[in-house]
Amino acid sequence: MDVKPRIGYVHRGIEKALENRTYIQGAFLVERVCGICSNAHQCTFMMATEEAGGIEVSEKANFIRTIVAELERIHSHLLWLGAAGLEIGFETLFMYVWRDREVVMDLLEAISGNRVNYAMNILGGVRRDISPELADKIRKGLDYLEERTNYYKKLCLEESTVRKRTEGVGVLDPVTGVKLGAVGPTIRASGVKFDVRKNDPHLKYDEADFELITWDTCDTFGRVVVRVLETIESIKIIRWCLDHMPKKGDIMPEKLIRRVPEGEAYARFEAQRGELIYYVKSNGTDKPYRVKIRTPTMANILSVAELLKGCYIADLPIALASIDPCFSCEDRITFIDIEKEKTWTWTREELRRYSREFNEKEKRW
Amino acid sequence: MSKKKKEIKSEEKLIEELKAALGPQLEEAYIKRPRRIHLKVKPGAHRKAVEYMRDNWDLWHVSTITGVDLGENIEVIFHLWRFKEPQTAIMVRTYVPKSNPKLETITDILPSSNFYEREVHDLLGVVFEGHPNLERLILPEDWPEGVYPLRKDWQPTQE
Repeated sequence: MDVKPRIGYVHRGIEKALENRTYIQGAFLVERVCGICSNAHQCTFMMATEEAGGIEVSEKANFIRTIVAELERIHSHLLWLGAAGLEIGFETLFMYVWRDREVVMDLLEAISGNRVNYAMNILGGVRRDISPELADKIRKGLDYLEERTNYYKKLCLEESTVRKRTEGVGVLDPVTGVKLGAVGPTIRASGVKFDVRKNDPHLKYDEADFELITWDTCDTFGRVVVRVLETIESIKIIRWCLDHMPKKGDIMPEKLIRRVPEGEAYARFEAQRGELIYYVKSNGTDKPYRVKIRTPTMANILSVAELLKGCYIADLPIALASIDPCFSCEDRITFIDIEKEKTWTWTREELRRYSREFNEKEKRW
Repeated sequence: MSKKKKEIKSEEKLIEELKAALGPQLEEAYIKRPRRIHLKVKPGAHRKAVEYMRDNWDLWHVSTITGVDLGENIEVIFHLWRFKEPQTAIMVRTYVPKSNPKLETITDILPSSNFYEREVHDLLGVVFEGHPNLERLILPEDWPEGVYPLRKDWQPTQE
């Protein structure tokens, strides 16, 4: 099988829209780039703008930003693990994981008031504080999540359904991956130590105690394991932040910052799916001159086209899902059978159905 | 030596190396903060700069390519990341006149720039000469030819 990617119809003109909006309006618009990594987008936009304009961020705000970023990573990785379970026909895993994910969603709601689009960041700080009582609640939630994630770790490493459907599927060798610019768990599952949190630390990641997770099987199985192990590391980072967070201190500047001095900056952030890039050029007014966004999925498209080559069509859903792609799910896939000179188009649902039937027939689980 | 100075010492070494390799084609080079190197090269010299980094530093990762409309010129910034120690982000910027926005591609040197060049071509109209497949990437098929939404002279008709 050969693959030629087209990225579909989700262009919304957000970069242009940001040029016509103030930084404050923009902060809430960039959250809508992606519903799953909304905080990553907002936080990176703020980091880039703050660096461009030389705006100081308080110590406590950086701790809170780190906590929310890691809670978001837990929710995203668990969401992905459930969805991966669905793709391989392991619906029990899907039900279990999504039940447990509710715990982290509740924590995020307790911090920010929202389950998605947390609206936590503003220029120079964050909008909501974490009180000692809330910190205790988060610790309790983390204990439960840690116990469950350890169970999923055992399950993913030992359960034959997971292994049979993911081992050797969608192989991306590290040399090709690096050349094609793959990022995030996709490249870390090929054994490459590329994690912005370690390579180019932002927020509190230079001080927090955590491991850079890699796996060397280079396949979908590796991507499952990397995400599960990273969830455990995220729990460690949040615990560290809660323990070391200053008790007192402002979380945001006294006066709301509207105008940003002239400058430019380039911020990198390890979002759940990999390196997220914001480039901001400010011109002294309350609106940015130019904002450039590069999402991690964009960086991974070339690699996914590479790793799908030679796959079974029935393995397409899980191999494609293994990079945790972020596009509207209605995108279709056109197949061209060169031998029979036949062309047909499937939606994701039709593809998933075919995959299930094929795997059942061939007894591949 | 102050702490900050010590931190950027390795970056200074990299800039010295680039100055020796590129000579007068390197118009500007400075360190904005630890792990952020900014370079400005003459149009056309970006290929030489990128090729030097790939061959000598084993640099493959293109984070993205940004196009900025500066009025007369369009600025094109290649955001690169150096994996090897000392790890650092390198911004190679160059510019093309808006009246004739042509720049040589770097896809043959760094394949990961493929989609980013297509994106800049789509939204700002910079033609990357020698690109293997400079098709439309982001804009819809029925978008008019020669209209580039990220240029400053284009404004959305209704908000």
